Amino acid sequence: MALDREQLLLLYTNLVRARKMDETVVKALQEGKVVSFYHSGQGSEAVGVGVCTFLRDDDYLYPHHRGHGLAYLIGKRGDVKAFLAEHYGKTTGMAGGMAGFHGVDPAHGIFGGGGTIGSQFPVSVGWALACKKNSRGQVTICAFGDGSSNRGTLHEAMNMAAVWKLPIVWVCENNLYAQFMPIKDAYPREDIADLAAGYDMPGVVVDGQDVIAVHEAAQAAVERARAGEGPSLIECKTYRYRSHSEGSRDVSHADLRPQEEIEAWKKRDPVKVFREKLVEQGVLTEADVERIDREADEWAAEIDRFATESPVPDASVLEKALYAE
Amino acid sequence: MRQIAFIQAINEALDEEMARDDAVFIIGEDVQSGVFGASRGLVAKYGAERVMDTPLSETAVAGAAIGAAMAGYRPVADFMFADFMWCAADEVFLKAAKWHFIHGGRVNLPVVLFGNIGGYARIGPEHSQCPESVVMHTPGLKLVVPADPYSAKGLLKTAIRDDNPVVYFYHKRLLGLQGEVPEEEYTLPLGVAEVKREGSDVTVVATSFMLQNCLQVAEQMKDRVSIEVIDPRTLEPLDTETICASVRKTGRVVIVDEDTRRCGVTAEIGMQIMENAFDSLDAPIRRVAAANFPIAGGYMEQHVLPQQRDIVAAIEEVIA
Repeated sequence: MALDREQLLLLYTNLVRARKMDETVVKALQEGKVVSFYHSGQGSEAVGVGVCTFLRDDDYLYPHHRGHGLAYLIGKRGDVKAFLAEHYGKTTGMAGGMAGFHGVDPAHGIFGGGGTIGSQFPVSVGWALACKKNSRGQVTICAFGDGSSNRGTLHEAMNMAAVWKLPIVWVCENNLYAQFMPIKDAYPREDIADLAAGYDMPGVVVDGQDVIAVHEAAQAAVERARAGEGPSLIECKTYRYRSHSEGSRDVSHADLRPQEEIEAWKKRDPVKVFREKLVEQGVLTEADVERIDREADEWAAEIDRFATESPVPDASVLEKALYAE
Repeated sequence: MRQIAFIQAINEALDEEMARDDAVFIIGEDVQSGVFGASRGLVAKYGAERVMDTPLSETAVAGAAIGAAMAGYRPVADFMFADFMWCAADEVFLKAAKWHFIHGGRVNLPVVLFGNIGGYARIGPEHSQCPESVVMHTPGLKLVVPADPYSAKGLLKTAIRDDNPVVYFYHKRLLGLQGEVPEEEYTLPLGVAEVKREGSDVTVVATSFMLQNCLQVAEQMKDRVSIEVIDPRTLEPLDTETICASVRKTGRVVIVDEDTRRCGVTAEIGMQIMENAFDSLDAPIRRVAAANFPIAGGYMEQHVLPQQRDIVAAIEEVIA
């Protein structure tokens, strides 16, 4: 689908805001406002934004844990105020302060997040099964990292989705590391997309730093799923600038991640690359760039203020919280 | 009133709930035949889209059910043997149990996690467990353990209608047990125990197949001791009050459950009785459970699992 100017601006704005909000959370954690921990997604925003920006509200989604799903959430028009409030442990958070960081936004098709890596595969099959049973053309996006792809749950889920032709798009963010484990020591091939052939579905490798390339691959996969033709696998090659978890060592096994590698990836920063392309094509003027930046700053500041001023829940909520009535 | 078999009662509950609500479906390995007969005949009535045979993939079975439940369906995930649930432990104990609570109540998981339990068939530790205590121990999971056809049907219907994850364990040795089941539709509430036999000397609390064993023991010993037998029916929620009311009456109690002794169901119920009815006790609480070993196979099984003579011995201790 050829994107018009408004759509291109939306993609760019989403990238800018994903980056801006990630920086906000990192800073808030350092200031003691974030109640648990954070896994920054700086460097990989084009994946979530590219996959989700043109999805329907009633498409279902399991975001990858980079940025705790920020890029995906923003693409999906989810509730970012509730996202930050949850990170601050407040009643106005996505989970009422009960989760600390797991994302949930049912109005936008996000039903929850788990703490075990690879747990997204089985539940995503359930959401995709519901999509199929509903017969309304909904699709499920299941995003996961290179580390997740080592789990056995991937096999069971991809296999079941394939035999049942479920409307699902499997999106792998391969950023070359699973915490301190480099992918080259965890998987015997170069491309995780090679798994797709084993499940009789198309598998493509995409430049994850190019939001248009991500969008186009996702669009094709989503259309395939909506048409009832079954699952697809998209592997986005990307990178994370910061350590796996804020404050943790930034290593590969026991050695520091190479600075040259980090710098090389930063040269192809997804926000910068797209901005330069749009300016060069005349889609964005310098004034637009300045305006979008300023508006993102104001947006982030307003969300931070809201989350900071919201109250903390008290113990009285626990009794009613265990079971649905 | 008509008498039907325990497994027939379960089949009727599934049939009725599927007829009543299109959102209900059964999913699991070989459910179209049903290894134990639970869902036999239902695929002919409701089709393969609602009685779903799956690849051999417990995490995918559990995940498919849990995910579909979050998106508005009411699946019954059949693990075949409850032991196989362990292959999907993340899905059961971290997702199904916790996702309603940790997501601030914004998602419901109306799923039934269905599994056959129990030993005395000498098929070894991975086909014979009664994994009740681990489930009972996990906040967020409800747990149903019927001991007769009437309970089996009424409780399963309620479990399917419950908006929370309910684990439903039904015992191998009860499948053919005949019992009175009305023709008219009925449901049974969770968390309500039944006094199955009235008595005045000793309270015996027993679950599932052990309940039937205790009824037999009570009848055998009736000339020596008047035994009140209580079936909790559900372990979460647990009807502690009915149990304690009986203990206040008799002053003596034996708890019988086929799961392992250490940290078992018997331990939890015993402690709750101690906390709520200590002053009524005329003797220490006794319990009968599986010994602290994996359930051995073959001829060794009888040395691990509780036998009727163990129940008799415990009752004799408590009245001595």
